[in-house]
Amino acid sequence: MTLAAPKMAIDRPAKRRRSSREMSAGWFAFFMNVPTLLFLGLVLAWPVLYAGYLSVHRVGLAQLRRGEFPFNGWENYGRVLEDPLFWTALQNTAVFTAITVSTEVVLAVMIALLINQSSIWTSRITRLLILLPYAIPPIANGLIWSFMYSFQFGFLNRILFTLGLISDPVNWAGNPDTALYAVTVPYIWRTLPFAIILVHAALQGVPRELYEQAAVDGAHAWRRFWHITLPLLRPVIAVILILRTAFAFAVFEEILAITQGGPGDATWVAAWYSYKITFSPPNNFGMGSASAFILALMIGVMALIYLRTIYRRVTL
Amino acid sequence: MNDDVIAKWELSRRRVLGAAVGLGLLGPGAAFGQASGPWSQAPRSKVDRLNFVVWTYGDIYSRIAKQFEADWGVKVDSTISSFNDHPTKLATMFAAGEKIDVSQSSPFSFPNFINQGLVEPLDGLPGAADYAKDFTAFTKQVAVVNGKIMGLPYFSAVWVWNYYADMMEKLKIDKPFTTYDEFIEHCVKAKKDGVSRYPVLWVAGVGLEQLPGTWYQMTWNRGGTFFDKQGNHMLGAGSVARETLKWWANTFEKGLDISDPESLKVQFTTSAKAFGAGKNLYRGPNHHYGLNVANDPAQSPIAGKVKVHVSPGEGKTIGVSHVYFLSSANRDKEWAWKLLQYLGGRTKDGNYTQANGLAKDAMLGSGYTSVMNSDVIKQGWAPWGDVPAILKIWDQATYIGEVCSSIYQPWHFPWTDQLNIEVQKCLTGQITADQCCDNLIKGIADAKRKV
Repeated sequence: MTLAAPKMAIDRPAKRRRSSREMSAGWFAFFMNVPTLLFLGLVLAWPVLYAGYLSVHRVGLAQLRRGEFPFNGWENYGRVLEDPLFWTALQNTAVFTAITVSTEVVLAVMIALLINQSSIWTSRITRLLILLPYAIPPIANGLIWSFMYSFQFGFLNRILFTLGLISDPVNWAGNPDTALYAVTVPYIWRTLPFAIILVHAALQGVPRELYEQAAVDGAHAWRRFWHITLPLLRPVIAVILILRTAFAFAVFEEILAITQGGPGDATWVAAWYSYKITFSPPNNFGMGSASAFILALMIGVMALIYLRTIYRRVTL
Repeated sequence: MNDDVIAKWELSRRRVLGAAVGLGLLGPGAAFGQASGPWSQAPRSKVDRLNFVVWTYGDIYSRIAKQFEADWGVKVDSTISSFNDHPTKLATMFAAGEKIDVSQSSPFSFPNFINQGLVEPLDGLPGAADYAKDFTAFTKQVAVVNGKIMGLPYFSAVWVWNYYADMMEKLKIDKPFTTYDEFIEHCVKAKKDGVSRYPVLWVAGVGLEQLPGTWYQMTWNRGGTFFDKQGNHMLGAGSVARETLKWWANTFEKGLDISDPESLKVQFTTSAKAFGAGKNLYRGPNHHYGLNVANDPAQSPIAGKVKVHVSPGEGKTIGVSHVYFLSSANRDKEWAWKLLQYLGGRTKDGNYTQANGLAKDAMLGSGYTSVMNSDVIKQGWAPWGDVPAILKIWDQATYIGEVCSSIYQPWHFPWTDQLNIEVQKCLTGQITADQCCDNLIKGIADAKRKV
């Protein structure tokens, strides 16, 4: 099969189709991808590789200024892995990711199913409104929720108090038992629309006939969802899991705006750790790069697990 | 200084004129600068523009930049970030090879900046030695490093207590506490009588001198320090610092539950604003100038009712100075020095323009003896608090570095990161004060390795 000049290929005799001047599909795809590869290489791969280079060197402000980085092998990685705070941050990140990603997937499917009901006119309005949180800059979102969570003056406590659900204000973001969970809510609120859009788009592609046949066979709504909708959503759920996990692992803005890692180390997450190590004196860029690389490696492993479990099963 | 740097510098035309008239009545030392001096002479070299990298404080920097341009015909660019973001901004600009003429630092970051080569010594520059002679004791501790002048003062502050006078009256307490037992007694009474759910608001938000400063101050007030003269820690079993922390933690939820939970989030100015809501009886020891927020009718419903109070016992407290410095990444040393003086020294007319303005409009203390002794302080601070009382506290204050000498070390910064975490864990009942101090002792070695 050739992709180049398909109309001409049809007109030509079969013998000429294999002319050496014609490009195979593989080569055509390769060349089409070259500009993108170069672009990504420049804006993504180069900084990543450079950070990798820094992670095996001793890099502080003075070294960056001079451009001379003494090689120190795996020392930065060793120091990161020895630091108990790094493991605390990693643990918090894992909890944060598990809560946000699982909640987002469940809510995204539920909400997408609702707004997919064309018979309900309000779903059209909901479809528009649902995008609003996604348009809010992450740091602004964090500040908004910071006000909402305020212990004495926050809206959340005021509403709960008015409804009679609490008798004393709750210190949502200032209590180590609730702070991490408190940060998950604004994060989910901001990023959920992305997942909803993906699921909603996937739902548009599910053939109606499948549901009609199932209805004829007497399958009720739950069985139709379980045996038709959910299996067909698996690829998109895999994509959501990969993307959302990667982003949740790197959560930063909400932490910065709401808790700054506190109280204590209750909300120290991996990205906050890398940031503090790198950008607070003594500005250890090498160690910060090493911690970021470890995080990237973990995200990569998670993505592979998703691909090998959820995504592959569907494509088979 | 942190959020203290928010919006409190609104210098109206009337205020400028008022200040000018007021200053005109003062003695020559403070009001009239010495018109002829190195500060009035133009550098021999030429530059198109200069810049400074600072943390935000109202519009003082845009005004001083305009004044510099008007006086010398050189445009000044400014890079202004929040206090917490300032070290990051400065570090990244420096690392990226950008030109930085003048910047500023808290005393906690300064050793790091010096250690990493960001700071240019001022010795030998015209007039530098004269400035050093006028430095207060606090300023000398920060700005003079190993005998070299490394910066000029930005501002100074001392730690004081505040109380809400109306609430005291309501509780029928005739005078504020004189001992820590009395402090607890007052707070428990306020809570029991239903006058205040959380009688004390501390400044225990994460920072370099917020939460740590509160602990340093109370430890010093009780006769303790964090390190001895040889640099050995003083956090072991039975130490004053450890016992102070035990006492402090007991005021929080897991103990007497008299501490406002917001304490763990607030910084200096935000705590003053929160205190202005009138829900607390006491505001824990922190920078004196919070009074200009808590007693400002535009910002506080209880303005005029917030009083300053001395610490228990002999009234021992701590103080601090922040500095401006000449960056080693400057484009022209002579011109950068000229600009530095506009921020931390004298302007062309010989006045300490910035220091006088900060004292008058923001209740900040100066790093210069002549300014501290002038009427600028006495008149400038009067609208917000009992000036003689504050100045008396000032006289009893010891520089923070005497209490926690690690601030002179580059490893102090990463150690403070840990201190914030461990102490907050202790105050929220996750670990005991003993565990906290043990962890901090171990953390000293870790922090040294990070540098």
